Amino acid sequence: MSDNNSWQLPDGVDEVLPKRAFVLESLRRELLDLYHSWGYQLVEPPLAEFTESLLVGLGADLDLLTCKIPDQLSGRMMGVRADLTPQVARMDAHSMSDSGINRLCYAGPVLHAKPKSAGSSRSPIQVGAEIFGESSVQADIEIIDLMLETVELSGLSCSRDDLTLDLGHVGVVQSLLKSAELEKKIEAKVVDALKRKSIPDLERVLESLDESFAKIFLALARLNGDASVLLSARELVLEVAPAAVDSIDLLSEVIDSMRIRRPEINIYVDLAELRGYNYHTGIVFAAYTSNFGQAIANGGRYDNVGSIFGRSRSATGFGADLKVLMQFYSSLLCEDVGSKVISAPYSDDPGLREAIAELRKKGERVVMQLPGDNQNDQFDRYLTNSNNDWIVQQK
Amino acid sequence: MKNNIVLALTKGRILRESLPLLADAGVEPAEPIDATRKLLLATNHEDIKLAILRGADVPTYVKYGAADLGIVGKDVLLEYGSEGLYEAADLGIACCRLMTAGIPNRVSNVGTLRVATKFVNITREYFGKKGKQIDIVKLYGALELAPLMDLADVIVDLVDTGDTLRANGLIPFEEILPISSRLIVNKASIRQKTPFLLPFIDSLAKLN
Repeated sequence: MSDNNSWQLPDGVDEVLPKRAFVLESLRRELLDLYHSWGYQLVEPPLAEFTESLLVGLGADLDLLTCKIPDQLSGRMMGVRADLTPQVARMDAHSMSDSGINRLCYAGPVLHAKPKSAGSSRSPIQVGAEIFGESSVQADIEIIDLMLETVELSGLSCSRDDLTLDLGHVGVVQSLLKSAELEKKIEAKVVDALKRKSIPDLERVLESLDESFAKIFLALARLNGDASVLLSARELVLEVAPAAVDSIDLLSEVIDSMRIRRPEINIYVDLAELRGYNYHTGIVFAAYTSNFGQAIANGGRYDNVGSIFGRSRSATGFGADLKVLMQFYSSLLCEDVGSKVISAPYSDDPGLREAIAELRKKGERVVMQLPGDNQNDQFDRYLTNSNNDWIVQQK
Repeated sequence: MKNNIVLALTKGRILRESLPLLADAGVEPAEPIDATRKLLLATNHEDIKLAILRGADVPTYVKYGAADLGIVGKDVLLEYGSEGLYEAADLGIACCRLMTAGIPNRVSNVGTLRVATKFVNITREYFGKKGKQIDIVKLYGALELAPLMDLADVIVDLVDTGDTLRANGLIPFEEILPISSRLIVNKASIRQKTPFLLPFIDSLAKLN
């Protein structure tokens, strides 16, 4: 035992060792290739920026999640990014002037001042894709499709792993709250109770409310399950908040589409899902799988956040943590890494160097032996000279 | 789809009062709970298991998804946070009140109040709302002793009958919150195991 603990990492900050790092990077490349093939352009937002731009609009919920440091050059406060989405939204609104549809994707590390949810890493690697400048539901459907492709590419399948697509629309609660004309303070309490789906807390807040609305909010908190809840929800809100019906119909459209595209997927509708309630403006979605206590990917529509940066834009997108996705990624890959290496003798011989370069070009891994390299462990083949020709031989 | 539900229960009074509710919902432990030292118990349902935990650990098990459901006091949810959980029902069992208490006529209104409690977050919020600056003394039990030994001016604790307070010469001052046990649910479980969980939750909460 040693008294020296200078090796200790902060809680929730993890390092990725060789085999897993290879898997992580392979998955990152495969996902970015996938987004590329769907026509999404890669962007690389900065690691840190001033909190003025980082924590407005979409980022307003990120204040407590963001690690802050004073910028020694300007004296202004900087934040290390806790989420790439607000940065990408700013890049679309401010740094790119195209008024048409903009499909962007990204992958990069973020830092959380505290874990976002139970047991989650404070240093996730976020991947995701966003569509800016398109307000139709077709854009949401494309993003949901791409989110599910992402999850499937990571090794999960709809049929085998009980993949569940979670769907909601913040417009339902928003329209109802608008029609109910609650005091700001009570409204905040209703939203808080709905977020936690706390029926008892909700009942308590609603005691002071008009009875018809109280009934509707309570029913809404319990309206979750398969697609049939949309029918009951439609009836529930039809008279009091007609605007909510449009939201419900949009959800039906998404479900019909997804049923055709992925007939095997479970769909779970949750009309009181208020994750990101402060900035989401439409359909919200997430993917869940068995034996994992949280969503493995999620996203939603967040129109108008660009207006702070000078350009109001429609936006929808999703994100996921690569470190979560990699847990499902092919373990085969993991076992192969490191074992397929060719050993070559240490030499300045131009013929040998040429042979090695040729092999490396073909994608082989060739290690020129250093005095301390152990022949037996890490190599499965070796380069040997036979009649002035370098050939690869099995061990 | 496999179900395999784990229900996390708080040992002690909540556990005792939960068992009749479970029995009404058709779930009974496979062996008598008093007679076993097992922490994970089988039930008469092949795919339902009971985990017996300390109260403060119940939300943690459910948040991580190690347990799908939990029964825990509202005090624990308020103290340790219920973010990321669904609170499906008030089971109306193990009822008591979270109160401030102290020695009669002893508490002055001047200066910083010293408050002894297990519930530091709830206490800070409660006195914060009242605009009162306090010093918190975190204790793990036998709170009634703190004012007697002049470790604190008041205590914040769960009060059931009030007998322990009276036996130690304390009286209850103000009620902070009524407390009862809540049924909590993991967010992912409710989505993955919907057809099984929803009816089970309803029958536990006596909603049908």
